[in-house]
Amino acid sequence: MTDQTSVLDELPGDLMIWVLIVSELLVFGAGLLAFLGMRAMDPAGFAADQAALNRVAGAANTIVLVTSGYCAARAVNAFDHSLRAMRLWLAAAMGFGIVFLVVKWYEYAEKARHGIGIETSDFFTFYYLLTGFHALHVVAGLIIFALLMRWGTHRNLEAGAAFWHMVDLVWVLLFPIIYLVH
Amino acid sequence: MSNTILTRALVLLIALSMATTAFAGVLPDAGEVFVLTVLVLSGLKSFVILSDYLGLRQAPTFRGGFTAFLVGFLGLAALLYALPFAM
Repeated sequence: MTDQTSVLDELPGDLMIWVLIVSELLVFGAGLLAFLGMRAMDPAGFAADQAALNRVAGAANTIVLVTSGYCAARAVNAFDHSLRAMRLWLAAAMGFGIVFLVVKWYEYAEKARHGIGIETSDFFTFYYLLTGFHALHVVAGLIIFALLMRWGTHRNLEAGAAFWHMVDLVWVLLFPIIYLVH
Repeated sequence: MSNTILTRALVLLIALSMATTAFAGVLPDAGEVFVLTVLVLSGLKSFVILSDYLGLRQAPTFRGGFTAFLVGFLGLAALLYALPFAM
């Protein structure tokens, strides 16, 4: 009997969560490149619209989300030692996730007050589609964490945290391109 | 991933995020230099998340693949940014 090992054995967690992570990165990556492609045709218009975005809120949300990712990773580590500690770390991750959504809601409300909507311009169409789709992933992550609080196993928790880190990763790529590049 | 590595990753991510914000405040209209720096900082943050949060530090083959994807994506983003200057 030979000991057969595959390069796939290196991967932490389930293979399927990595398939999901790669798929999501490709979808958001294509969206961001399409945004930059549209920008190339109207750089002045995109820069004018981008000036209406709240960069401080976007930057604050980056710190909120990476801190939330840290809490999710600590929840996975805590699982084998203490269920209570795992739940506390998971609750902290959810708390930061909710803060992210509140800041995002504030940003959307601020735009609405100025009469800015999804059809205002090409820039804002991309802004709402990309940040809105990302925010929906944050909501999905929060629902997954809520379920894991009650029915978490180590395997499920690892997969849930990996999903959350993917949401982190997408934001880290999305924020500079939408909010800063001009 | 150990708690020490995770904490170090968090500190690094916050430092890189603050560097991005500070750079955006100091040089908001610096054109190509600003954009390239911001994209490189974004790439570094992504690398930390992949390595330490997602645990690819233990899977060097896959970390190499994701890093190649990141470099390709950010390189293409920089090219698309520069496209209007060439037209």
